[in-house]
Amino acid sequence: MDGSHHTGMSYMDHNDTTSPPHHHPTTSVSHSHAEGHGDTMMMMPMTFYFGFKNVELLFSGLVIHTAGEMAGAFMAVFLLAVFYEGLKIARESLLRKSQVSIRYNSMPVPGPNGTTLMETHKTVGQQMLSFPHLLQTVLHIIQVVISYFLMLIFMTYNGYLCIAVALGAGTGYFLFSWKKAIVVDITEHCH
Amino acid sequence: MQMHFIFSNEVVLLFDFWSVHSPTGMALSVVVILLLAVLYESIKVGKVKLFHHALESLPARINKQLIEETDQESADSDLPPVCRTRLRWFLCHFGQSLIHVAQVIIGYFMMLAVMSYNTWIFLGVVLGSAVGYYLAYPLLNMV
Repeated sequence: MDGSHHTGMSYMDHNDTTSPPHHHPTTSVSHSHAEGHGDTMMMMPMTFYFGFKNVELLFSGLVIHTAGEMAGAFMAVFLLAVFYEGLKIARESLLRKSQVSIRYNSMPVPGPNGTTLMETHKTVGQQMLSFPHLLQTVLHIIQVVISYFLMLIFMTYNGYLCIAVALGAGTGYFLFSWKKAIVVDITEHCH
Repeated sequence: MQMHFIFSNEVVLLFDFWSVHSPTGMALSVVVILLLAVLYESIKVGKVKLFHHALESLPARINKQLIEETDQESADSDLPPVCRTRLRWFLCHFGQSLIHVAQVIIGYFMMLAVMSYNTWIFLGVVLGSAVGYYLAYPLLNMV
């Protein structure tokens, strides 16, 4: 992508609320793929908008045209985000249960004279070639894929889908982490 | 710029000079991205390990005292050892911050690479992340 043409990308038609702007004559120059794809190429929106016409969702076969399809996509994205949060918590508790590795559970403990001390616990781990670790790795792959999918969905700048991601994350966190202890979270990915 | 995943041998990654046009170049880029993902996972683990080291290197008593002192700025009689520990703690914290910066940068680079919507690159990131997690995570035990 040529950096000198970037100013053209920021242009948006704000009056059009139903579909992302595409086929803008000045912006197509800025993309190196423009010659190859021609008119079928979609313009990538760079600001938030609300619309449900011609919204591409990750794959070329998944294009949203109607409000009903957007509602379906909303639910799907919402459930994906809930599942992501659940997976994170599940991995956490699985890890603690099987003691695959060291966890640092720092929890505030009331000190002698009203102060709070941080107490750090350590659980001992297992071998690299063990079933719990393999399971953790597989779950890690799933988590990475889903987290990148959610990131790309948010990156569509579609207001509905972004709200679905945020609401899903909130709901998932609310549902699954009510008994979660404060831990140094290294399973976090990409946000 | 398309908004869905495609299999393509042509992609521009992160910088102007990193433009890929051939299958060989794509394979090379996927390997580079894969190694980047492995490095990312290693840094994540390494950060925790360093944190562990820092906690262990500080004697528990002084450590406790240090935390207490930050809560209520009380001036004790044995100030020099506390000062030394504090300096070490500061250096450790500084190192951790640098590592954190590296982690954030690599994380964003990987995110931007995935944002090219190239399936090969995406698979490279996922595979690298899996390999990195699989190899680095058990190393936590061997402190």
